[in-house]
Amino acid sequence: MATASSVIVKPARRGATLSQQRMIAGFLFVLPAVLFTLAMFIFPLIMTGWMSLHNWPLLGQATFLGLQNYVDMMNDRQFWASLWFTTQYTLLVTPPIFILAFVLALLVNTALRGVGVFRTIYFIPVVIGLGTSSLLWVWLLNDRVGIINGILLDLNLIQRPIIWLVDKNLAMFAIIVSIVWKTVGFSMILLLAGMQAIPDELYQAAEVDGASYWQRLTHIMMPLLRSTFALALVLSVIGSYLAFDQFYIMTRGGPQNQTITAVYWIFNNSFTYYKLGYGAALSIVLLVILGVLSIIQLRVLRDETTY
Amino acid sequence: MQRLSKLLVVLSLIAALALAACTPPAAPAGEQATGGGQAAGGVTMSFWTRDSNQAQVRALVDAWNESHPNKIEITVIPASEYMTKVGASVGAGAPPDLMAVDLIYVPQFAAASQLTDITDLAKGLPYFEQLSPSHVRLATYDGKIFGLPFNAEGSYLMYNKGLFEQAGLDPENPPKTWGEIADAAAKIRALGDDIYGFYFSGSCAGCNAFTFMPLIWASGGDVLSDDGSTATLTDPNVAAALEFYRQMWADDLIPPGAQADTGTDFANAFTTGKIGMVGTGAFAINNIKTNFPEIEFGATFLPGAEGGASSFAGGDSIAIPAGSKYPNEAFEFIQWATSDEVQLEYYAKLNNLPVRTDLAENEYFAADPRLTVAAEAMAMGKTPYTVVYNQLFNDPNGPWLKMIQTAVFDGRVEEAVNTAQEEFTKILSGQ
Repeated sequence: MATASSVIVKPARRGATLSQQRMIAGFLFVLPAVLFTLAMFIFPLIMTGWMSLHNWPLLGQATFLGLQNYVDMMNDRQFWASLWFTTQYTLLVTPPIFILAFVLALLVNTALRGVGVFRTIYFIPVVIGLGTSSLLWVWLLNDRVGIINGILLDLNLIQRPIIWLVDKNLAMFAIIVSIVWKTVGFSMILLLAGMQAIPDELYQAAEVDGASYWQRLTHIMMPLLRSTFALALVLSVIGSYLAFDQFYIMTRGGPQNQTITAVYWIFNNSFTYYKLGYGAALSIVLLVILGVLSIIQLRVLRDETTY
Repeated sequence: MQRLSKLLVVLSLIAALALAACTPPAAPAGEQATGGGQAAGGVTMSFWTRDSNQAQVRALVDAWNESHPNKIEITVIPASEYMTKVGASVGAGAPPDLMAVDLIYVPQFAAASQLTDITDLAKGLPYFEQLSPSHVRLATYDGKIFGLPFNAEGSYLMYNKGLFEQAGLDPENPPKTWGEIADAAAKIRALGDDIYGFYFSGSCAGCNAFTFMPLIWASGGDVLSDDGSTATLTDPNVAAALEFYRQMWADDLIPPGAQADTGTDFANAFTTGKIGMVGTGAFAINNIKTNFPEIEFGATFLPGAEGGASSFAGGDSIAIPAGSKYPNEAFEFIQWATSDEVQLEYYAKLNNLPVRTDLAENEYFAADPRLTVAAEAMAMGKTPYTVVYNQLFNDPNGPWLKMIQTAVFDGRVEEAVNTAQEEFTKILSGQ
């Protein structure tokens, strides 16, 4: 804080009235954003931190507990199980999203006529609400009326309808397919934007030097996409770690509570058991974990290329 | 430097003001609990209800608004978010003036001192003794009454008469014991590959509180002690009921998809016309009559192992939150809603169960005996009394559903019961 203000104050000391006025004008311009961030992010965050130090029931008086909620968390087996399950889910869902998004981005990164139609088609699932798409998949996967079982039966690949959501592995597979379908378009657009930011001259120069398509891809495009990869990866990992809707709607955490994600457990504590203080403490810990994970990813994929 | 700090002060002031503007104003203290003093004619009361029965509630409130000077403004909230919204509004000091709430949550609200004591007003109603006993029992806390029945549901066994006939069963003589249910289910199952004898939503906690628990009660068992303080899942009737389901599952009398049904198919499975029997509620009658007129169905009580009958009495209670601005006017609405005329013209006539046992038999229900079955089921029904209902029974990841799944689908009845007993005990003791 001290360093930040001294940096800002420096121009003021020079005594230039104009620059002071500019500073005020600048402040006024950022004011709406500052207020918005304060009201929508900083204040709720502080409130969550404050709540996490209390036994905070939905109805009735909150009582101060100090760090007890955080101590309880150490012995909360379901929380650690959920965190581990969420990690597994993230590790499983990220590669298919990335590979498919990259392939799709390559396919639609051409100037061919009508390519916009394909871009739109791949992107459409992204604009569907996650709750809606999860419910859609519940019915697609249904054993009685679901089209997926219908197709598999018609192709004689299976003899009886598969009950997708009662087996942990099948359910996980089904959910991953649904999420890849739902989110791949977003990563595709990010990668596409990155690809289009690469100057054509680089490819042309390489082509003149006799580089093959594969060489151009691996030696020019991929290195230059590093920062885009980093952004897409961070967003995707955060999204996967915050997974909730798809599990809440498609499996309800079942079978036998094997698909309860970290956010699902926060939801259960807050809105099923009405332990809002404990839910807040879990949220803070998840925030810290996500912060650390994001820093690691950004460090690893730090972009040192310039052109 | 000075200018900058001034600016920061101004900024933080603005931020504080903006935040203050965001929080809803608390109800003026003077208006609380003394609402009776308001000038007659023309207050507007806010009324919160859940979406599950909104059509009925809207019709009712419209009728009230047409005939009364005090108006009601209704807010419909999704059932799954109801408790959270009400909790938040109470916390912010701005509860509604009147609210309908799932009867199972009333003890929790009462225990947290969030409801207005209406004991004297309620007992003054000439038909107080005839009000749904389960609703009144759950609305009673520390000997005081905090709510009255507003919407009634009773679980019963619905069966497909057409399938019964095809299977050589007497459609006018539905099963009266578990053995008879299993026999009928087996005969119906034999009718075809995609026809099943019985259905239940295997991944839905609440559905099975509604339709499975009565099997235990009808056999003379229970899941909680009368005062709700201890778990009684080791009662042999619990294991027996689980074993009854497990055997039907093992015999392939229940569609395999039932295991994955989180409740989305609870109301739909029977409407395919390929299910012989299912535990359900009064709400299903209107739905099938309107949308699936080709299905001939009957209604009978959920039986015990060797006979008997029981039901889960559900629905909503209506209560006046502690911060209500117009408690007296609110009670006028409650009184009106439970009166003979309204119970008959706006409940029974529209295929909704009256909340009064003395009106279970009425001219409208006489035309459809299935509604009378549901109404009688509701009148004899029970409801667990506990302030941790959600955690025990409604939680999809909680001990109740886990017990049913472990016993029925994994076939480990004894382990299921013992684990659930332990987990119930833990929750009831506050962990």
